[in-house]
Formats: sequence, C-alpha cells, structure tokens
Amino acid sequence: MTGCTRCKTELEDGDLRCAICALPVPAAPSGERSAYAQILRCTECNAAVAFDAEARAPRCGFCSATMVIEQPVDPIESARVRVPFLVEREQAEASLRGWLGNRGYFAPRTLRDEAVLESLTPLCWAGWLVSAQATVAWTADSDAGARRSSWAPHAGQVPLRFDAIVVPASRGLDADECRLLVPYYDLRKAVPVEQPSIAGELPAMIESFDAQRSAARHIVQRAIDATARTRVEPSIPGRRYRNVHVACLLEGQTTERVALPAWVLAYRFRGSTYRAIVHGQRPEVVFGSSPIDWARVARVALAIAALIAVIVALVLLVRRPVDPEPSPEGVHAASTSAQIG
Amino acid sequence: MVTFSCNQCGAGLAFEGVRTTTCPYCASPNFVERPPSAGQPDPAFAVAFTGDAVWARRRLEGWLGGRTLYADPALRRARLEDLRGIYLPAYLYSAVARSDYTASIGEHYTETETYTTKDAQGNEKTETRTVTRTEYRPLAGQHVGYITDVIVSASAGLDHRTLGAVEPFDLRQLRRFSPALVSGWIHEEFSRDADDCRRASRSEAIDAVGDKLRAFMPGDSYSDLAWRTTVEWESFDPILVPVWVFAVRYRDDRPPLRVVINGQTGAIAGKVPLSWWKITLGIVLLLAVIAAVIFLVTQHRPAP
Repeated sequence: MTGCTRCKTELEDGDLRCAICALPVPAAPSGERSAYAQILRCTECNAAVAFDAEARAPRCGFCSATMVIEQPVDPIESARVRVPFLVEREQAEASLRGWLGNRGYFAPRTLRDEAVLESLTPLCWAGWLVSAQATVAWTADSDAGARRSSWAPHAGQVPLRFDAIVVPASRGLDADECRLLVPYYDLRKAVPVEQPSIAGELPAMIESFDAQRSAARHIVQRAIDATARTRVEPSIPGRRYRNVHVACLLEGQTTERVALPAWVLAYRFRGSTYRAIVHGQRPEVVFGSSPIDWARVARVALAIAALIAVIVALVLLVRRPVDPEPSPEGVHAASTSAQIG
Repeated sequence: MVTFSCNQCGAGLAFEGVRTTTCPYCASPNFVERPPSAGQPDPAFAVAFTGDAVWARRRLEGWLGGRTLYADPALRRARLEDLRGIYLPAYLYSAVARSDYTASIGEHYTETETYTTKDAQGNEKTETRTVTRTEYRPLAGQHVGYITDVIVSASAGLDHRTLGAVEPFDLRQLRRFSPALVSGWIHEEFSRDADDCRRASRSEAIDAVGDKLRAFMPGDSYSDLAWRTTVEWESFDPILVPVWVFAVRYRDDRPPLRVVINGQTGAIAGKVPLSWWKITLGIVLLLAVIAAVIFLVTQHRPAP
C-alpha cells in the first residue's frame, strides 16, 4: 500500500485516483516502442474486435467472445477488524421485553406479554473508521460583536484532527439506526476479524460493505463535514450562533473497515411485524418501532377536545353573563333530534 | 497526415487528426500504437460509451420531437446525417485551492416604525408597523478545499463550452486507457494546446471555488463577494470522454444544426433553430387570449 503524493492518504489496490483529493495514480511504466497501426484481436478466433458499448467491453463479431479489460469494478470490501459481541441472546431478548413494557401510555397494555419474537439475528454491520488531519475553514453568525441585528458574521480557520469517526456502510441497518448505535461502541475493544471468538461469544454474520468504494468518497466527506461542523463550535466567538458552514482540506486520511455488533429483532403483535435493534455491547440501548393503541389515542384526543370545549364554554359564559332565553323553536328542534337519535 | 499500413490486409491507411480508423478494404478497426515520446499526449484514462448508435439516434429523435413547437418546421423533415461516436480528447484537472475572500454580509433585524395614513373618512392618523431591515457587515476570511473533476475539451472541433453543456460525466466509471476501449470507434487526437487547456482548467477551478464560496457565506444575504485563489498541487491528465456528434441538415441554405450527446449519460445539447413567425404567432395568440379575458371580465362587472 502506498500513499497519495498530494494529500498523503493511503491508496488501495485498484485505485485509479486518490479517494480524497482525486489525484490520479500513475500507471506502471511501459517499454519504448515505435509507432505502428495495430488491431486488437480476439483471443479465441483471432478476428479483429471492436469495443461494444452494450457489453461495455470489446466483443468479437464472429465468435461473440468478450474480452476482459481493466474494469472499474468496485472490489467487494470486507471488514478487517470487529468489535466483539458482549450481549448474549437471552440478554437481548430480556432487553427487548423490558423496552416493550416501557413504551408509554399510547402502547397497547398487553404489548409486553403478547408480543411474539419472530427472529433474533446477531449482525456485525459494516462501517468505516476514518481518521484524518484537516484544515477547516468556517463561517458563522454569532451574537458576538452584534450591533443592530442580533447576529454578526464571523470567519476563521482551524487545524483539526479527526480520530476514528464511524461512517456507516450498512445495508442491513439504515442511517438513522446506525447513528443511534454509534455513540455506545467501545472501539478500543476491536480485534482483527480473523481472531477466533472469545469464550462465550456468538458467531455472528459479518456484513459485507454495501456502499461501493467509488461512492464511499462522498459518504465519508459528508460525515466528516458534519463532524467538523460540531467540532468548530468552540472556535466561534459569542454564546449563540447559527449558519455554521465548513470547508475541509483533509490530509493523511486512513480508513479502517470495521464490523460493529447489533441484535436485529423482529417481533409480531396482533398480526403485524415490528423491528427493534439491541446494541451488541450495551443491552440497555434498545430502539425500534412499536405498535400504537389507537383506541387510547382517540380517548386522549376526545378528552383534550372536551377540555378545550369546556374552557371555551367557560370563557364565553364569563364574557356574556346574561344569556338570552332559548326560543321555543330551539327546544323543539332539540327534542326532535333526540327522538331520531 | 500520417499513413500506416493496415495490420490486417496491408492497405495504406490515412490517420488525419484521429488515432483510430477502419480499413475500407477489410473493415478492420486499426489503432495507432506509438511510443510515449511522439509529441502527442497518450490518454491516461477514458470513460467508455454506454450505448450504441441506435441508442444515440433514439435519444436524438426524442429530443428533436420535444422541441418542434417553436422550431423551424423544416426540422420535422430533417435528415440525420453524419452520426459519429467520438472519443473526445480532454484534460482532467484537480488541485488544492486556497482562497482569501471578502464579502459584505447582510444580517436582518426588525424595527418598529410609525407612519401616518388616512382612514375611510379621510382623517390623518398615526399607526405603527414592523419592518425588516438589513445591516451589512464586512467579512474577510479563508476557504480551503480540493477542486476535482474539472474536464476541459482538448479538441479543436468541439470547444470547451459545447462539451460543458453535456457534462457531467460519471467519473466513478473512469477506466485506465487501453486500446481495447477505443477499438472500432473514432479516437480524436489532442488538437488543442496543453497550456491553453491548463489555463482554461484553472479558470474553471476558480469558478468552482466561487460556487463553493456562495454556499459558504453566513448571514441572511451577502453582496460584493470577491476572492483570490491560489492553486497548488495541480494534476492535469489527458483523458478521453465519449460524445456522439450529430449534424442535422434541415435546410439546404443553412448550416446544419449540430447536436452533441454525452455518450455515457445521454445528456443532449444543441441550439435548435427557432422559427420567428411561429414565435410571433404564439405571442399574438397569447395577447388575444389575455384581451378576451379582460373583455369578458369587464363585460360581466355589475354596473355601479
């Protein structure tokens, strides 16, 4: 593995350009030749072949053989280190039960006891661990130096070091689920993937990387920008600020592929399936979807509506203390409707 | 003009401004292999074509079909001539850009002001209202970043602006150049001066910094944004990008309409000749409709 000459980021096999600064990687040198006209020939039948746009490769018109050329195929990446599972199956199930029993007033009362666990899958989801040195230029509005407006513009530039930012690359979990899990991992416990499981640890499926390496650059860049936006906050003068913009110049980025443990649970309640996630290291971290008892929601809504009606009625009464006598017609109409009802 | 003999049948082949040609006698796609020091840059990368001539023609027909409302009616009967799939020479540029900028940042604030008005009886009275005003404050600072994926045309035939109209190319699909990619297609030689292209790339990079700066400004508004950019660590690599070039001859007395299609994404650009009498007719019709509506509204207004 060699480094990019411009930004000192590690390059990987098959990279045509640096993942951070897009500096092209030079090709291996070839020997000196003299000029001549050449024909690309089929390796099967020796006929002349041309590049076929449909096949995205040179194809022979006679024997239909397709030649293999250097393709920008994204290699399937897999994790090199993993964070071990610390939560066992029974613990995960108990956490889920505890969570189900604690879903608040709008959840069905029988949820905890009637929910049937459909599946409980240990998953090691894929993520990048990114570290880099960066120069971060920022602008923001803050209350420092404000005159007539409550905001004054500020700008600055700070060197920042990013260490072990977790950037999700998972297909099994969505971005929000990953975001909720990330803060609770103890990354110091990471071990190489090949290392055999420690006693009592579960054999879990290790997810392959869903995001292609070519697309990864944008995902990582976005994650670093988001982190930088919070990291520059101490540099902004004043107590309140808004409109924080950052521009990052990254150098010497290193990326480690890591597998992070989580329990993915599916449970069934009254004919519908719901999904919940239990953290693989901290059983108390549980989140997911749960059913809502609409009858209870309706009852509360009715109660609130009734309360509002009572308040409005009271206010009207206070404003107009002398009520006119109800007309005989009105009484008649009311009694008629009551009969119909 | 350079002549080489066909690698299949030995016939003399002329290569004029191109590096590939198909032998007229044996239909073999020939490609000029030459030493790296031959004075012409060798492409480092290429973006491959993703569709064939039928695909390109269908894109063109769809595009022309959607543009006949105000176009010259002759376009409907146009002959699609001279369809060519070309690997266009271009340069791929990237750099580190460090900029110093100054701008005037507008911050809103609200003020209560009093004003006098007349009520229904014509009496003057004083009222208050809240107005939003903007306070402008100067801001100076720095901006840093990589400018990547800048592509400028190195073809004398298809200039930078025309190529820009069908950009971007998906550079994630970039491949290292090999003759296999261009075999059977037209590989145009690099015909524009490299220094010229480098200057064009640099100015496009500085424009790109401007776009980034506009999104970087704080405040509710800004004005007088000015910046000075220094570029470091430039990279400048010859590449090939796929384009379909069509010449559409729609009148014998006019030059043909040239349409360019991005050979990878299918984006199309071209300047459709407009028919002035059609536009005039359209405006007259629109005015007639407006006049009719006004007439109807005034007719139906109840008499005072």
